[in-house]
Amino acid sequence: MVFQINFKSGMPVYLQVVDQVKAAAASGALQPGEGLPSIRPLAEELRVNRNTIAKAYSELESLGVIETLPGKGCFLKTNHSPLRKEVRRKLLTEEVDQAIVKAHHFQVPRAEFLELVNERLDALDEKRRANEEQKTN
Amino acid sequence: MNASTPAIKIEGLAYTYGRAEAVRDFDLTVNPGRCYGLFGRNGAGKTTTMKCLLNLLRPQRGSVRVFGLDPAKQEVEVKRRIAYVPDQVAFYPWMTIRETLDYLASFRENWNRKTEAELLGRFRLDASQKTGGLSKGQRTQVALISAICPETDLLVLDEPTSGLDPIVRREFIETVIGAYQEGNPGQRTILVSTHLITEFEGLIDEFTIMDGGRAVLSLDADQARERYQKIRVRFAQPPMDLDLKTALRVRRDGRELELIVNGGGPALLEQLRLRNPESLTSEALTLEEVFVATLKT
Repeated sequence: MVFQINFKSGMPVYLQVVDQVKAAAASGALQPGEGLPSIRPLAEELRVNRNTIAKAYSELESLGVIETLPGKGCFLKTNHSPLRKEVRRKLLTEEVDQAIVKAHHFQVPRAEFLELVNERLDALDEKRRANEEQKTN
Repeated sequence: MNASTPAIKIEGLAYTYGRAEAVRDFDLTVNPGRCYGLFGRNGAGKTTTMKCLLNLLRPQRGSVRVFGLDPAKQEVEVKRRIAYVPDQVAFYPWMTIRETLDYLASFRENWNRKTEAELLGRFRLDASQKTGGLSKGQRTQVALISAICPETDLLVLDEPTSGLDPIVRREFIETVIGAYQEGNPGQRTILVSTHLITEFEGLIDEFTIMDGGRAVLSLDADQARERYQKIRVRFAQPPMDLDLKTALRVRRDGRELELIVNGGGPALLEQLRLRNPESLTSEALTLEEVFVATLKT
């Protein structure tokens, strides 16, 4: 996969790598069992500190998104989250709450907000379908 | 020595050339495994500081420790653990690259021949060429090879990429990340002085901005990008009575404002948002912009 680092986003660089792997996994751009670039070439290519990439990968591993096979590299795992369902729900609730607070300040009413959520879920599905088609072709 | 011993610890350093105070009351702590940037304009005191680490200059006040050792008293032990790429690289011009590297290797207890061959190939250097005929970029490449092959715990780079073309600069940084850091992941420490901050943006974990021989700002790079924000806002009418005391810098033109903040960004954004702006955006400052903002205010 191809990573993009944006220093103007204000987000720590390692988190940008983490989020991009998560997003690629969600959209199917990265399939279970597929390998991630090794640390050294990726760090060189992005010209970021090797430790930053190592930190991102170990974070992804502790989140259960990827696994490291000794001598082979890092791969996307089939079954993502090692967390229990309630914990997953709780973590997601925090994120949803933040979006709701933002929606309030942007004066986006409930119906429009829900519509937007549906729209984004559809968009992700669409991306996933497109990625799947590309894989089968 | 234990794991908590800093790679570099400088306290109250002062150095004066004649009457010119190059460094005064300067503190610096670099922990092992970090890549630390020393940013400053020409004459800010970066090179003087580095020379004190290498015992090329004796501190006139204060103390300098490298892995807990005093470079003036334990010079050999300190030099064994440091590799250095100076801003002006000079070799004996009558020696070939091969002879130069062998000569430099003879001072080292450890020299990775495999890395040497790999880097000579990567830089497309002909080892039988005399160093007198090398370009500035090629001389820097040879200096980098000679700094990486001994596999030291600390790499000190003084304005390593200034005056080099963009391709050589990129290769230089990639080599530091790859060949140097990979050798002992998480443990290799880098101190780099530069004013080409953008180039090193992704490599720097932590930095100190020097000005007039003093440290004016020391910060973690991720923290800096989180704290320093540029906010752009446009209102329908020129805004009155905005409280912009927290902003570091304000540019204003009629209905539009550009603010630079150091911390307090979210609160200010909230305040602006409540006034129903036509548009409101914010982005992090890059380290170079943080540098400019720090020294211009």
